[in-house]
Amino acid sequence: MATNSSTDGDESGRAGVRANAKWYAVSYPMFWLVAVFLVPLAMLVVFSFYVNIPGGSYRPGFTLENYARFLSVSFSAGWPPIEGNLYLSQTWLTIELALVTAFASLALGYPIAYYLARMNRPWLRSLLLITIISSLWVTYVIRAYAWQVILASGGILSSTGVRLGLLAEPQSFYPGYWGLVIGMVYVFLPFMILTLYSSIRNIDGELLEASKNLGAGPVKTFRRVTLPLSKNGIVSGLALVFILALGAYVMPRLLGSSAERTLPVLIEAQIMSEQNYPFGAAMSIGLVLVVLAFLWVMVRFTNMTTASLGGSEVAEPDGGRPDSAAYKSASGVGSSFRNGVGSLASAIGVTRVAASAGNGIESVILRIDARTRERILWVGSRVYVAAAMTFIAAPLLIIIAVSFTPEQFLTFPPGGFSTQWYVEFFTDSSWVIALINSLGIAGAAALLSTTIGGTLAFALDRYGYRWGTIFGTFGILPILVPPVIVGVAFLVFFLELGVAGSRTSIIVAHGIFYAPFPFILISQGLDELDRTYEEAAMNLGASPLGTIRTITLPLLQANVVSGALFAFILSLNEYIIAWLLSLFLVDTIPIQIFNSLRYGYSPTIAAASVVFIALTVVVMVAIDRLSGGIWE
Amino acid sequence: MSGISLSGITKRYPGGVLAVKGVDIDIESGEFVTLVGPSGCGKTTTLRTIAGFERPTDGTISIDSVDVTDAPPYERNTGMVFQDFALFPHMTIHENVAYGMEVDGEYTDEEIDARVAEMLELVELPGVADRTPDQLSGGQQQRIALARALAPSPDALLLDEPLASLDKKLREQMQVELRRIQQEVGITTVFVTHNQEEALTMSDRLAVMNDGKFEQVGPPEAVYDEPETRFVADFLGTANLFDGSISTVSDGYATVDCGDVSIRARNGTAGAGESVSVVVRPERFALESEGEEAGENAFDGTVKFKRHLGSSVEYHVDTGNGRTLIVVRRSGTGALSTGERVSVSVGAKDCRIVEA
Repeated sequence: MATNSSTDGDESGRAGVRANAKWYAVSYPMFWLVAVFLVPLAMLVVFSFYVNIPGGSYRPGFTLENYARFLSVSFSAGWPPIEGNLYLSQTWLTIELALVTAFASLALGYPIAYYLARMNRPWLRSLLLITIISSLWVTYVIRAYAWQVILASGGILSSTGVRLGLLAEPQSFYPGYWGLVIGMVYVFLPFMILTLYSSIRNIDGELLEASKNLGAGPVKTFRRVTLPLSKNGIVSGLALVFILALGAYVMPRLLGSSAERTLPVLIEAQIMSEQNYPFGAAMSIGLVLVVLAFLWVMVRFTNMTTASLGGSEVAEPDGGRPDSAAYKSASGVGSSFRNGVGSLASAIGVTRVAASAGNGIESVILRIDARTRERILWVGSRVYVAAAMTFIAAPLLIIIAVSFTPEQFLTFPPGGFSTQWYVEFFTDSSWVIALINSLGIAGAAALLSTTIGGTLAFALDRYGYRWGTIFGTFGILPILVPPVIVGVAFLVFFLELGVAGSRTSIIVAHGIFYAPFPFILISQGLDELDRTYEEAAMNLGASPLGTIRTITLPLLQANVVSGALFAFILSLNEYIIAWLLSLFLVDTIPIQIFNSLRYGYSPTIAAASVVFIALTVVVMVAIDRLSGGIWE
Repeated sequence: MSGISLSGITKRYPGGVLAVKGVDIDIESGEFVTLVGPSGCGKTTTLRTIAGFERPTDGTISIDSVDVTDAPPYERNTGMVFQDFALFPHMTIHENVAYGMEVDGEYTDEEIDARVAEMLELVELPGVADRTPDQLSGGQQQRIALARALAPSPDALLLDEPLASLDKKLREQMQVELRRIQQEVGITTVFVTHNQEEALTMSDRLAVMNDGKFEQVGPPEAVYDEPETRFVADFLGTANLFDGSISTVSDGYATVDCGDVSIRARNGTAGAGESVSVVVRPERFALESEGEEAGENAFDGTVKFKRHLGSSVEYHVDTGNGRTLIVVRRSGTGALSTGERVSVSVGAKDCRIVEA
């Protein structure tokens, strides 16, 4: 009965304040999410038509020159016609890389997610999940650096290869395409695993028992029950990784060669090096359009919503089968649509391939008896998961190891033990200032994020709004926009306001960009909160505000605090937005590490990274404790 | 102590669903009234309008002769026990029971402590003050929920299916316990349940609700023995129902033509030609094999099914024409076996005519 009245904001029993309070409540988050977030994005559109004046300035006007430069196609220069245009061919490369990353992550991640979801040792599962999740939030800069150390000529991979006689001479695996792909899969694999994990976890174990009881073996059960039921997880995982990979800046910049300059790298170069703001803006709009086209295809042809991308994904056991006729009608529209549809079609294709492979495997192992069969599958999956977990954990472990080297250069194995680089880190004023800046910015941004996300979640939960769904979408939207674009948009906005290059500008940008995390967590908490507790309090005489203070907030404490900690940890590790807004005036740890990488691999970088990783792990464990196993 | 008065209470939810359709009742001070009915009949909505969680679309509510129709829940002095108890999980038992007095702000700490101790004594759980709700069993949580509701000395106690989540044995124990405490405190109580047995055993009066309206209000034995409508007869206990129309009326009795049989039964106000139902409680039938005197209405049939209910035995007797009579006899009185031919009869005074 309570749910029947929940849409009625005037209901006397609601723990809200008064009917008109609903507009005050929503105006605060909307101020930030519309006035301070959408306005910069709109300014980006305007800027993309401005006229560039070589030498770092621009004047208002209307020209299509920027788009012409971005989109010009030359048919004389051979086939395909985008070949002659650096920007278009790099846009295609960006999309290709994102697709490769998404599908490689799916192939690598599915077995791990499946194993995690089905294993029955809770402590090991939490350990593995914490490992995966912790690596997830460590700044891309440190993780790219780890792969540089591994892949460089004279790096770990090459020297191990030489020692084992596999390589004739030291060889560098970076910068280059495959080194970049490895790095990209490494950073985005955790997102894929977690999405698939929650989807597979949601499958009722009794369904699998029912299937086995009806005579299906493990392979058939997987193919006929588990895989179809996790299809939504597969589609969300692919979409999430694809969008994140499209917007990736740090990995292509640090692991790619000049041939692998992706769109975000080109945009950053236009802004920071060429100071051609209008052209940078035009390319940003191009990237946004690719993302929007992809999202449109997702929403149009699957039952995904933008909210489910934002993390509130719940596996739905049925539906979501895109009909094949829809593909045909879309095939003539444009190349970017085709790519989007193609990725979906291949998602279905992958299912089929997996199915036929499953058939093959099953016919082979049917000759073995059932017990041995299960054993082989189980041992095989364990070996695989161990290898994949090594891939996820090793780079950061290597960084930790080399940070204790007694030598002047990075060496692995370290060949001794010394804490000198930590002393160096904590005594060098530039590192200490960067650390203080990072912590201060992250703390303030976390507060801002939590107030924005929290009030929005609360307002949407308590009051019925005609535009409630749209307000909710605003709450998720920031995280869907590639960070490089958020950075450029805020840069343009703050330049106009005259506050760019300040800590405040970074705090505001991070506060808005990460508001979706507290928003989602607090919304979930409010959803799960039993309304009867509030009714009981009011029945006992507590006023609406008293009820919120004594009952609602204490019960939501874990969600509020984990939301804030999430925003904190993300802001702490964020590079590209902070870098664009710093205008060389503000240093944070990720910026400082990135800049130091230009001058070689001083072990101080490793020490700084370890301090940062430790900070991140501590906060992640705190979130897990607080929320009583939020990862479940 | 004080009574509750509902007059013309109607609740229409946004979207047009009419949950309660004009309900009137005067509950006396100290009375235990049960609202009973199938799920969706509007009983919980009615209770929630008394508590102030729902504002009635129409009608007025007064508690202790004060009109509280527009008062928010926290300005009405009612104590509610929720179906899943709603004990605050982040507070100890002491804090839970003290909550109502603390938010009131007019009690000293000593008064609160004394009152909490008194309440825990009342529900016979004096030693649990420092525990948290998850450390208590279901039955204990139930008692604490009651103590919490009673602690601020409310004008009325509202119980929303509080026994539904307990197992059968505990439920029966709590029925007795709840009634003992209610009588000890002497508090006006409104109890909502879908369990007809609970309604019959616990209340001073019960109101049978169906489709947003009261079908019949009265003491349990009156409602059970003298149901006014077919719904009430069918909902409370087991009823054999014969649908038909009245052929002749005479002197407080009438003969009802049910097609295959015709039955003489006690009549209220129904006139000839009216469509009615005849209600016969299963324990009112006599079985010929027991040597009892045959009643006016007799049926021949075959025992089709038999089940033992402990203190009694239930027989399903097939009398042809698709009609099955349910007959209950005390255990140990001449058992019949399945397939046996039997003659069943009932006197006209044990048959009652109700609105169809």
